Amino acid sequence: MVSIEELRACAAKLLDEGKVKAVIGYRRGSAGLLAEPCVIDQPADAESLIWDPGCVHNLALYLVKDKKAQAASKTPDKRPLAVVAKGCDSRAVAVLLQENFFKREDVVVIGVSCEGTGVVDARKLAAKLKGRTASQVEFDGADGFKVTIGNTESRVPASEILADRCLECRAPSPVLNDVLFGAAVEQRELATPFTAVKVAEAASEEERWASWEHHFDRCLRCFACRSVCPMCYCPECVVDSTSFVITAETSAEDKANRVRWCERSAGSGESALYHLTRAMHLAGRCVDCGECERVCPVNIPLRLLNTKLEMEAFEMFEYQAGRDVSQASLLSSFRDEDPNSFVR
Amino acid sequence: MEKILCKESFAGWLAALKGYDLYAPAFADAVWNHARIEAGTTPELDHTNTVRSVKEFAFPQREVFFRFEQTKGGAPTLTATVPDPAPTVIFGVRPCDGRAMPRNDKVFAAEFKDPYYWARRDKLTLVGLACAEPHSPNCFCQALGGAPDAEEGLDILMTDLGDRYHVKGVTGRGIEIMVRGSDAFDEARAADKKQVQERHAAARAVGQRGVNDLGKIAEAIRQRFDDALWQDMARTCIGCGICTFLCPTCHCFDINDEVICQSPCSGERVRTWDNCQFADFTMHTSGHNPRHDLGARLRQRISHKFLYFVDNHGTQQCTGCGRCISECPVGIDIVRVLDTVSQP
Repeated sequence: MVSIEELRACAAKLLDEGKVKAVIGYRRGSAGLLAEPCVIDQPADAESLIWDPGCVHNLALYLVKDKKAQAASKTPDKRPLAVVAKGCDSRAVAVLLQENFFKREDVVVIGVSCEGTGVVDARKLAAKLKGRTASQVEFDGADGFKVTIGNTESRVPASEILADRCLECRAPSPVLNDVLFGAAVEQRELATPFTAVKVAEAASEEERWASWEHHFDRCLRCFACRSVCPMCYCPECVVDSTSFVITAETSAEDKANRVRWCERSAGSGESALYHLTRAMHLAGRCVDCGECERVCPVNIPLRLLNTKLEMEAFEMFEYQAGRDVSQASLLSSFRDEDPNSFVR
Repeated sequence: MEKILCKESFAGWLAALKGYDLYAPAFADAVWNHARIEAGTTPELDHTNTVRSVKEFAFPQREVFFRFEQTKGGAPTLTATVPDPAPTVIFGVRPCDGRAMPRNDKVFAAEFKDPYYWARRDKLTLVGLACAEPHSPNCFCQALGGAPDAEEGLDILMTDLGDRYHVKGVTGRGIEIMVRGSDAFDEARAADKKQVQERHAAARAVGQRGVNDLGKIAEAIRQRFDDALWQDMARTCIGCGICTFLCPTCHCFDINDEVICQSPCSGERVRTWDNCQFADFTMHTSGHNPRHDLGARLRQRISHKFLYFVDNHGTQQCTGCGRCISECPVGIDIVRVLDTVSQP
């Protein structure tokens, strides 16, 4: 079991000794069951840190945000940041390191192992409770959750309310870490990786296209999937309505001639372009933290797009994003035995 | 006009509404949204609240202003596209969404009567359903002068009495569709009215989240424009558009020309929802962005709802539906923001 007291002490010590400028972790939220991300600057505030199955967020996102903020600042604070990271989150840090987005000494990874379980899927839990609202969900130390509703407690097997990404998780313990809390569980058998995408793939091409057209048509283009993704760090995205990268040298003509790849209208064609572009740009980079799918307010199964490409990366190149930080990234490496049937 | 509608007579009422487009909440893809229903069906009306609000029936995410076409050397021709929708009835509107519409009406009629908005709005009949209990832990309608049985903005208010509904015509438009289906209704007796009052009182008595010192918030925001608290509260904001796109009163938009064909040049001028949380919302062509960070954007969202709108229209531009809290990916909580701002 992860000892939250030890984790808090570790965070406080890092701050106290001035080793990091802040610790990014989880604290109790006010909006409902799930935890909320927090930035702890003061050692005393480390007391508010928590670790429970509502700690769904991939906090590596905030390393990216900080890096960008410091790059834009006239007085950048380049001291390292500490981040609480689950298995999937630590893979995201590893990918960012592989891509030289920041350096290893810029980050202290406080690893937390999901051990036998993982995080809850709030939609699954809501369906399970038939509209009642749970006040707390805790790890029960084995392979289930303790769910509290008012004064009553019940035990729910993890597999029933666990997020799909956790069911299919290949590495529930953070491989990349500076300190680890909880047991370094290497693998667990809840569901075989790529189960969901294989089920979805079994449908005919026509059925699949109809299904995705239906989903893309529902897309609000709130861009929460992009905003929450640590890998979506481009300074400017193909779907942005305007240029963000403007310098004194950018001419009026350059601005006027910016290609508009995607209209603002949230039609299914435009939204398909957005989601498929995003999926392709994540090939070999997606660590399956599942955040894009979790945050979607209209519940588009975005994880299927990303895991499909991760499955190809794995089956063709035995590549798993973020598994090994010393490895070159998928798109910048090759092996003699790589399949080359598509090279003509 | 107060009537009683037995649940088995609901289909009979709908059957009498020939020529109307009918909508009711439907649970699809694990979320509630309004969906088209056919006359003769019986809506269940056992929904919580829809994820997308009712605003889109008057202010759709995409509205075509006009079409344009120009042959080489010729004069451009413009074709008007003011919509002419069928009269539309929406069932199951929650009172918070009902109260949102008069606020939207103010915006689209204040200085200029928006023909597109009003072409749709004037055809709209909103049939509300009183809440028996808060359908989300983040409901706070009563803190903003609303109630689980508020009639403001609704054309009809229905109250579930178990095997039957109490149906109250609030406006002429509402009474009109009750008269059309008069065969389906029974007279409401004194005992029914008493039961309705009891239900409403019971629903009002259920605890909701509260807002401290609502009357002082506008001034507090004004005083604290440059306060560091905005930066602090937006520290974990990811800058997505969920809060405003789902908001029943957020109404900011963008206007673009969408070219469909280059030769002859033709296309559409369209209005789409825009979002003060996106970086491009205030981006200047020079590259300067006056709201350059998420703190400034959070301040704008709160200020618009609780200061500027109060200054301009004498009421808050928030009805306490709680969507922006429940759906925020990182738990940013407008009630907590208001409490923080109003704290001395």
